Amino acid sequence: MYPDLHKLRIIGCLVVIALLLAGCAGTQSRNTDPVNDPWEGYNRKVFAFNEGMDKVVRPIAVGYDKITPDPVQRGVGNFFRNLDAPVTYVNQVLQGKFKHSISTLGRFLVNSTFGLLGFFDIATQMGIPFYNEDLGQTMANWGYDDSRYLMLPIFGPSTFRDGTGRLADSFYSPVGRVFHGSNRWGLWIMRGIDRRAMYLEQDAELNSAYDPYVLMRDVWMQNRQFQIYDGDPPMLDYDLYLEDDFEEEDPGTTGGQ
Amino acid sequence: MKFRILCLLAIASLFSGSLYAQTEADSPVFLVESITGKIFSDVTNNLEQYTENPEALKDLVRRDLMPLLDINYSARLILGRAGRGLEKEKIEEFATSMSNLLIDRYAKGLLQFSSKIKLQVLPQRGDLNEKLTRVKTRVTLPDGGEAPVDYAFRKTPDGWKAFDVVVEGISYVTTYRNQIMPEVQANGIDSVIERLNTGQLQLAE
Repeated sequence: MYPDLHKLRIIGCLVVIALLLAGCAGTQSRNTDPVNDPWEGYNRKVFAFNEGMDKVVRPIAVGYDKITPDPVQRGVGNFFRNLDAPVTYVNQVLQGKFKHSISTLGRFLVNSTFGLLGFFDIATQMGIPFYNEDLGQTMANWGYDDSRYLMLPIFGPSTFRDGTGRLADSFYSPVGRVFHGSNRWGLWIMRGIDRRAMYLEQDAELNSAYDPYVLMRDVWMQNRQFQIYDGDPPMLDYDLYLEDDFEEEDPGTTGGQ
Repeated sequence: MKFRILCLLAIASLFSGSLYAQTEADSPVFLVESITGKIFSDVTNNLEQYTENPEALKDLVRRDLMPLLDINYSARLILGRAGRGLEKEKIEEFATSMSNLLIDRYAKGLLQFSSKIKLQVLPQRGDLNEKLTRVKTRVTLPDGGEAPVDYAFRKTPDGWKAFDVVVEGISYVTTYRNQIMPEVQANGIDSVIERLNTGQLQLAE
């Protein structure tokens, strides 16, 4: 575990801090649907901390977005996405999705070579499908399907399961193998900026929200569920939304408790 | 990405490629195809005219798309507990405010993206039941990426109507419910309607 030590130590510290703080978790907000977020008090503090960090990060991301031509920006996004392929591959195998894993392997080989280290997504043009897996999804697939929401410092929305998975995935991610020292830090910072730039368009929405914390949580949790089910989650139980609210108007929708 | 797509979804719904002609005439899949196809061809044929006169485009969306939607039902789902005890008229007023905002977005999106986005309606896949179903579509974005956009439909006395849009797993109804429910309970429905009407509360950015 030589080159990853530094990064791991930091992530490890963050997780430990997260867990300690979680001990003194606060109350859940009322008037929303029940969400698995018993650490909401702590999560909100980290959310506020991240918002503070964003005061520095956002202007950098805006600058990057402005000066970088779209094709270059897309290339950078492709490059980082390609680096995730080994993690996806391993987790596809762990989940028994062998057919998908072959496709991921193919993508990685094609894009890393003909795609010039992944900057060009040749594989998509060739019609090789893209998948995204990680250990959090694998654990969900194995039955750990309801994990509490956990706001990570800097990394943002997650669950306890997915944060743990993320840490474990970083052990064998190629980023730490190929890049060393300051190069690796540069890469991580670049990736962070690239990620942030992708979400700039949502800022207005988040800022105008009644409760930005809840908005981010709901959007992230729903999308995560979508990933776990490989894009085909079960349909929502809308009847629950009407339960005990409109009984007299909708006799057909009153279920059990 | 997700929220940008939340915006595109609506727009995207208007650009159907009508790939599956073999569906029943009153099925949700057919409805999505035929109505979006109709709006799409109207917009592409009269793009200049609508660019000059966006109000006419809003009228078109209102006339062709609104009959497909059950906005009052969406409003009730979004209001949830907070809608308890509200008069029917209030809920309808809230629904109208929301749909006005949506029409505005659809129309703007149509002008901006009409030539850049492709929508494919996927065939019905068995989860159709007598009261509830979903129509799955796939939107091809300008950069070549694909976004799955699903529509939840329910059967009403007037036929199948859509009441929710789900983009990459993110449900419009669920997401806004958790924003609007507490806000209504804290500040009252009139204040929320006011914020919607004045554009302070943004939907589907």
